[in-house]
Amino acid sequence: MKKLRLVALRSRKEELLRDLIQMGCVEFREIESEIQGTEAEGLVTRESSEMMRLKSQHAALTGAVTTLGKYVPVKSKLLAPKPECEGQTLLDDSDLEAAMRDAEAIEGAEDRIRRIAAEESRQRGVIESLVPWLPLDADLGVEGTGRCAVMKGSIPGRVKLDEVDAALRQINEEAELFRVSADKNQNYVFLLCMKEDLPAMQECLRSFGFSASAVTGMNGTARECTAAAEQTIRDLAAERADCVKTIESYAARREAMMLAADKVAARMSMAEAEERCFGTEQAVVMEGWIPEEREEELGKVFDKYDCAWETAEPEEGEYPTVPVELKNNNFTNSLNMVTNMYSLPAYGTVDPNPLMAPFFILFFGLMMADVGYGLLMTIGAIVIFKTMKPRGGTRVFAQLLLYGGISTALCGVITGGFFSDAIDQVVRLVSGNPQWTVASYIPGWGILNPQEKSIAVLVGSLVLGLIHMNVGMAVNFVMRWKKGDKAGAIFEEGAQWLILLTGILWALSMDMVEGVLGFKVDIGNINGIPVPLCAALLMMLYGAGREAKGFGKITAAFGCIYNFATGWFGDILSYSRIMALMLAGGVIGQVFNTVAIMPAQNAGKFSVISVIVFILIFLVGHALNFGLNILGCFVHDLRLQCLEFFGKFYQDGGKPFRPLKFNGKFYQVKEN
Amino acid sequence: MNLLESIGGTAIAYMGAALAAALACVGSAKGTGITGEAGAGLITEDPSKSGKVMILQVIPGTQGLYGFVIFFLAFLKISGAGDISLINGAAVAFACLPIAIGGLMSAIAQGKVAAASINILAKKPDDWSKGMIMCIVVEFYAILCLLASFLMLNAIAL
Repeated sequence: MKKLRLVALRSRKEELLRDLIQMGCVEFREIESEIQGTEAEGLVTRESSEMMRLKSQHAALTGAVTTLGKYVPVKSKLLAPKPECEGQTLLDDSDLEAAMRDAEAIEGAEDRIRRIAAEESRQRGVIESLVPWLPLDADLGVEGTGRCAVMKGSIPGRVKLDEVDAALRQINEEAELFRVSADKNQNYVFLLCMKEDLPAMQECLRSFGFSASAVTGMNGTARECTAAAEQTIRDLAAERADCVKTIESYAARREAMMLAADKVAARMSMAEAEERCFGTEQAVVMEGWIPEEREEELGKVFDKYDCAWETAEPEEGEYPTVPVELKNNNFTNSLNMVTNMYSLPAYGTVDPNPLMAPFFILFFGLMMADVGYGLLMTIGAIVIFKTMKPRGGTRVFAQLLLYGGISTALCGVITGGFFSDAIDQVVRLVSGNPQWTVASYIPGWGILNPQEKSIAVLVGSLVLGLIHMNVGMAVNFVMRWKKGDKAGAIFEEGAQWLILLTGILWALSMDMVEGVLGFKVDIGNINGIPVPLCAALLMMLYGAGREAKGFGKITAAFGCIYNFATGWFGDILSYSRIMALMLAGGVIGQVFNTVAIMPAQNAGKFSVISVIVFILIFLVGHALNFGLNILGCFVHDLRLQCLEFFGKFYQDGGKPFRPLKFNGKFYQVKEN
Repeated sequence: MNLLESIGGTAIAYMGAALAAALACVGSAKGTGITGEAGAGLITEDPSKSGKVMILQVIPGTQGLYGFVIFFLAFLKISGAGDISLINGAAVAFACLPIAIGGLMSAIAQGKVAAASINILAKKPDDWSKGMIMCIVVEFYAILCLLASFLMLNAIAL
């Protein structure tokens, strides 16, 4: 990365930004804190942009595309690639306004449809509330005559209406209570009485649990009101159909709106960069980061627009703010997914991908270890490559899947698994030879079958772990050495290597080993005391305490021993998960095979039905096992890399490089 | 001892197989249940996430499967063996214990993680795979239990 400082003419700013977004390799930096308190503070002001307007335009366009998708769905093919377009197209303003108008029309129609739905449900509520009053011939809007009052309402079903009627008649003999209708819970009643008696009547009714009807503000009988509401619903439905037609009529403009949305997105990216610039009336000043290898190319562009510019290597104090871009080839690139998931390396430290790639892919293969599953993964990856032409994250995923698949298939040969022991089980049944095995036809097939040679596989896993961790330590050793911390490199990594080496020598000299080898290995031991090992231990203790003072030396030494013992043992044993997952996947697959073949086994041969049963159970079982395994192996491989391996050398905390570039939702820009 | 002998090795071995299937399945039922409850809440808000909710929900279901695998192996062993001595029967029963107990507890623990991951799916849908990774960490201990049971069962010759 190089630090870029640039002053451009205001009149050419727009063109410059357009060129930069197409190149996609300049990250604009926030420089407010550097301008504050200098002479420049009074001279320059922050550049303004149209961000707010662009954001609302973008929301309108993407919203319209989503709405259109709801009414006129497009059949998207699974794994279909994003359509491509030229970068120049995205910077072309023509048709933008037309697309905006279309988008607004669609959103307007959609808004109207939402209101119609609300109105419809209100009308349905009205119809429902009118149901009890349908038998009533009276106008619902009438509240009485000059002398007479009417009341509508409901009384709980358990109350006898005769009693209510009698009670009302005690107040005034003229009062009349009609039952309009009744359902399970309520009697719907209509009361006719003298106006002056109304308060007393209401009081009396309340004591029976009367509640006034909610049907208010209507004119005409219940039947007429219901008919009117139904008519309104029909009108609304017609109006909605019109709105839907309006939206559908824009189907042909879908691509134009998608393109416009991406055009606005490009403008938003440019506006974001603009907001980080400061300027005077005539000039604009900006700072940023550029990848070293593109400096020359960028220089030509800057010169074209008469810019004043300079670049510089970042100073060490600036390292925490320098963005990091991982540079990888096609192979190690696949590990970006892992590194990004963890955290990018700090600027100026080691890119872990090339170191991690071989181990990650090997460990994954060993854990999954099945020819069938490996082939499935490889084919899957090839299909993704062929049909999707993937970019970015999907491409990385497909690469990882491809390498993982190849590795899984190769390791599957060693462990002897093709959908676990499917071949053996089927051929044994068909041929009638219970001893038949693939291994007798393919040399090397299953030489490390984890079920038969579990101890060898376990030891192998731990040895791989030892190698893995030592690679990590070697990296740290070199890094420290280069930085000038030679003592640290020797007393920590160096001492640990010595302990490992001398520890092996000591272990070889034990009586137990002599029994196995038949002769005694005795190097460096004096009177049975492992002198080199003791020396190496002392060296490590000295290294731990060399920077501490007084009593601190003792605690540092104890801390060192504790960390060394728990760290190494814990880390190495952790690699036993390679063996555990290898075994588990095989065992579960084997059980599914056994269950699947059982009906045929009981009959002694395959029949039509038992073949169908076999295929069904086989497919479901292995799909489950495959899914679970691929996820499990990935996660546990990730753990070995991120915890055990990275723990030895990795310094994280890098800031990802986010250059100004196209990042539209619908189109991907053609690469030149 | 007399009491045990009167029960017989075969029955004790079957008890082990029964525990392996039953306890692990109880754990999975509980784990998937906890996740399902949380997931149903999310689906009421956003039905389009039902696929991802389902994936999270089935994760604690594997312990039941592991329990069944061990049950199945033990069952094949017992049913094919004829009369089983008390010692051998007890050995089979003990071999079944890791997945029975480990499956029960780990499925419930995993169910809780999966239910919490439903929250990630609701609030930060882009990061939901991180929740899945946390679930798989719990899964490892169920796998170890499965292996322990499997290796012991394999070592017992009836």
